[in-house]
Amino acid sequence: MSDATTGKAKKTPPAPLPEFDEETYLRLNPDVLVAVAEGKFRSAREHYEHYGRAEGRLAVALRDLPRDRVIVTARPGGAAEAPHAPAGAVDTIKLSSAGGLFVAGWINDSLDRLDTVELYVAGWSIAFSASGLARVRRPDAETVVGLHLPCALGFWGFVYAGQRLPAGKCNAVIRLKSGVELITIVNIEFLDDLELRGTVLHHLAAAHYPGPASFNAASSISQTIGTQLVDFSQMLTRKVVSAPYVERFHQDGRAPKASVITCLYGKPDFLTLQQALFAGQAGAEDYEFIYVCNSQNLAEALLKEAAIARLVYGLDITLILLGANAGLAAANNLGAAHARAKRLIFMNPDVFPKDAAFASRHLALSEDLPAAQTDIFGAALYYDDGSLMHAGMYFETETMPGFTLGKKEDACLLCLEHYGKGAPPKDVALLRPRAVPAVSGAFISMNRAWFEELEGFSQDYIFGQYEDADLCLRSLEAGRPAWLLSLPLYHLEGAGSVRHKVHEGAAAVNRWLFTQNWLEPVSAALLGPNPAHPALAEAAP
Amino acid sequence: MKVLLIAMYHPELVRGGSQLVAYELFHGLREVPGIEPVLLCSADSNSPAMFKNGACITGFDQRENEFLFLSQDYDCVWQKLPLPGHAEAFAEFLRRIDPDVVHFQHFLAYGIDYLTLTRKVLPRARIVFTAHEFLTICAADGHMLRKTDGSLCEQASQVRCHQCLPALSPEMFFLRERWMKAHLGAVDIFTVPSRFMIDVYARWGLAAEKFLHVPNGLNMPPLPARSSGTGRRNRFGFFGQMVDVKGLPVLLEAVNMLRAEGFEDFTVEINGENINFASPERRREIEAFLAEEEARPVAERRVIFNGGYHHGQIGARMARVDWVVVPSTWWEIFCLVISEAWHFGRPVIASNKGGPAERITDGKDGLLFELGDARALAGTMRRAATETKLWDKLADGITPPTPREAMVQGYLAAYEEAAAKQKLAAE
Repeated sequence: MSDATTGKAKKTPPAPLPEFDEETYLRLNPDVLVAVAEGKFRSAREHYEHYGRAEGRLAVALRDLPRDRVIVTARPGGAAEAPHAPAGAVDTIKLSSAGGLFVAGWINDSLDRLDTVELYVAGWSIAFSASGLARVRRPDAETVVGLHLPCALGFWGFVYAGQRLPAGKCNAVIRLKSGVELITIVNIEFLDDLELRGTVLHHLAAAHYPGPASFNAASSISQTIGTQLVDFSQMLTRKVVSAPYVERFHQDGRAPKASVITCLYGKPDFLTLQQALFAGQAGAEDYEFIYVCNSQNLAEALLKEAAIARLVYGLDITLILLGANAGLAAANNLGAAHARAKRLIFMNPDVFPKDAAFASRHLALSEDLPAAQTDIFGAALYYDDGSLMHAGMYFETETMPGFTLGKKEDACLLCLEHYGKGAPPKDVALLRPRAVPAVSGAFISMNRAWFEELEGFSQDYIFGQYEDADLCLRSLEAGRPAWLLSLPLYHLEGAGSVRHKVHEGAAAVNRWLFTQNWLEPVSAALLGPNPAHPALAEAAP
Repeated sequence: MKVLLIAMYHPELVRGGSQLVAYELFHGLREVPGIEPVLLCSADSNSPAMFKNGACITGFDQRENEFLFLSQDYDCVWQKLPLPGHAEAFAEFLRRIDPDVVHFQHFLAYGIDYLTLTRKVLPRARIVFTAHEFLTICAADGHMLRKTDGSLCEQASQVRCHQCLPALSPEMFFLRERWMKAHLGAVDIFTVPSRFMIDVYARWGLAAEKFLHVPNGLNMPPLPARSSGTGRRNRFGFFGQMVDVKGLPVLLEAVNMLRAEGFEDFTVEINGENINFASPERRREIEAFLAEEEARPVAERRVIFNGGYHHGQIGARMARVDWVVVPSTWWEIFCLVISEAWHFGRPVIASNKGGPAERITDGKDGLLFELGDARALAGTMRRAATETKLWDKLADGITPPTPREAMVQGYLAAYEEAAAKQKLAAE
């Protein structure tokens, strides 16, 4: 409806229709009925003469109104209501010392789509584009709005400014495509960088999604958030690994043939358990053990455990303590930098030898087999229940139709699968030594020189996941596929660390990142358990 | 030969079977020419006055060759002590004492890894390990008593153990078994006080040929008159700890049943302590029964609570009863109370599993009833109290319990066997 007070759309009125009927016009045009009642027009006729005729409004009652179909009584758009600001709010803005910025809120933009979320603070401002924001469900907002179907009313975003920004009060503007604005004043909360990363990852994992959660969590950050989070996390990792505390518990004069690097998180007992179960192996003294701890609160307990282990088991231990969680990749790279041997073993804390000959057999394989098979190799891993859990890894894709989030494109993510997960323990085909697309990072044995040539694990992945497959793919690209060798170990998956919501959030980021990095080459020749890549002709069991 | 005995608690600080046996062995070995025993007993928060600032090991009460290991912060999940200072002190103690034999009568409050530590510090020493229960196998206090339904456990497994203790995952029990076995690998000879234990450990995967059966033996006080009874054998006695697995509620329920049947010509005397270690439910049950009994007119009271007793009082307490009831609801590994009862010529009425079932021959030297079955116990008690000449027949069938000297000889044989095993392994 045009506003009579704006002075716009003034035209010379044509002669009124002789049969114009006030009552019929008001019935056909309820907005005019309201406007007349509010005193904006003296009569229906006045509205018709000034605006209604030009807008093509029907003034005469239809005789014999057709049944069961809509009759348009005005030209499309001609009688549009003035846009109203829908319900919504910016709830939270959090800022960290290094310039990480997190914003979250909700908006009912089902009719008028979200365009930007703009933040104006004394000294800086930012406009988050709608495409760069993640959209999630907000059941509380759905209740407020009165929606009965799940709908992604929520939004959140993250950017890393890379510099310290002042906090304070923020003028937060939600702008819709129609130009309507919704303005709220929000107090910015100031957080430590690590705390903000945790908050964001927790938010990512804990959010409600209108479809499969793990998939949509990963795809929701694909536009901007993922890249920004990776940059932010890299900065934190660099900070954390720059100041490690290193203590060596060594016997004099030993020259280890292999360095076992284990990243500990959350559970100090696993240092002791590994030492106890490896120490009984013939040839265990040829190994040194490097434990990198990503949990600051475990420092005291680990120093004690390592001191006791030196007394009781007598193996060489190096303890590297970090002030925060630098992630598995950075911890492994740091451990490798402190290693003394030419062979590196990256091993989870919940991995244990399955038979008494592991230590000697591993060295024999490393030394006797051709370099092409030992530059990077994994092992057959078993569950505690006796079944196989890993005989190499391969890649699959998961695709989700785009309509779940109102996007046109279908979303596609890479996923890792294990050969032989849950299989009987002695499946000869699965256990056959062969080149495979990738091996689990729960146990990777590498020629140190090759590890260094590949520049170690990628530290882009947050906390840990996918860096093992990433390393194997880079090795494959460089001409040396990972091998699976006959070396049985137990892997009590997940028992050796603690997992919180933030780790689920990191997993979503890592999955998105791994897909970004590898979807194209994997799709070309590495998909499925029987990939087409010429170096992997024997990969399938 | 120098023998270092490692014991859980000193029996004069915390009473209990294994520490009593260790102390008896210590004194028994002292009497053997050519043997020099040294005793190291753990002490923990039960005995705060024993702790000395900064010390991990101290002497005890000015007694020669008796020492205390001052333990704290013990990790009951993995059975280890997370204190490097204590491990250093223990290693240094081993070096100072330099024993030929290190005999672990227990590892609790030290840590199962002290077996491996001992082997590392003293590679040539013989290591002997006595199992007084199944703590290495069973994380539920070593009782092998299923928490799911109270039944006896015949076989531990990671899933079954997880069902008993759901807070720990099957993976943790998988690891626990390997952790325990890794350290038990340092042992040359295992000894057990009852033969049935060997089967349990063998089923768990330890080599049966490394086990020896050495029954517990006590140096008992002098014998009083065989009985001060009146000829009627209707006085029953309970002796021991009032903890859940000792099954006192089964006996009290049997008393209720006998009363309900109208049979009241009997008495039960309870000689026990440590009810504070019972579960809250069992404790409430026992205390409610005793309070109700106390409230009855004197002539109607059938159950008398005498409280705890020390070794010197045992003769007087035994003299007040005709029968000793052992209603344990677990395997009851050996049951020193049976030895005490036999020493004083009292036949025993006991649950029909574990140590009692191995030691008592039903109808010859005692009576057995179905474990945990109060009705069966009530029937057995009524029979015992009413059947003419039964008591005399069973009392005559009793074989005197193993004396301390025999136990000492048994352990000396174990030390020799350990040497033989070492020699064999070296060859």
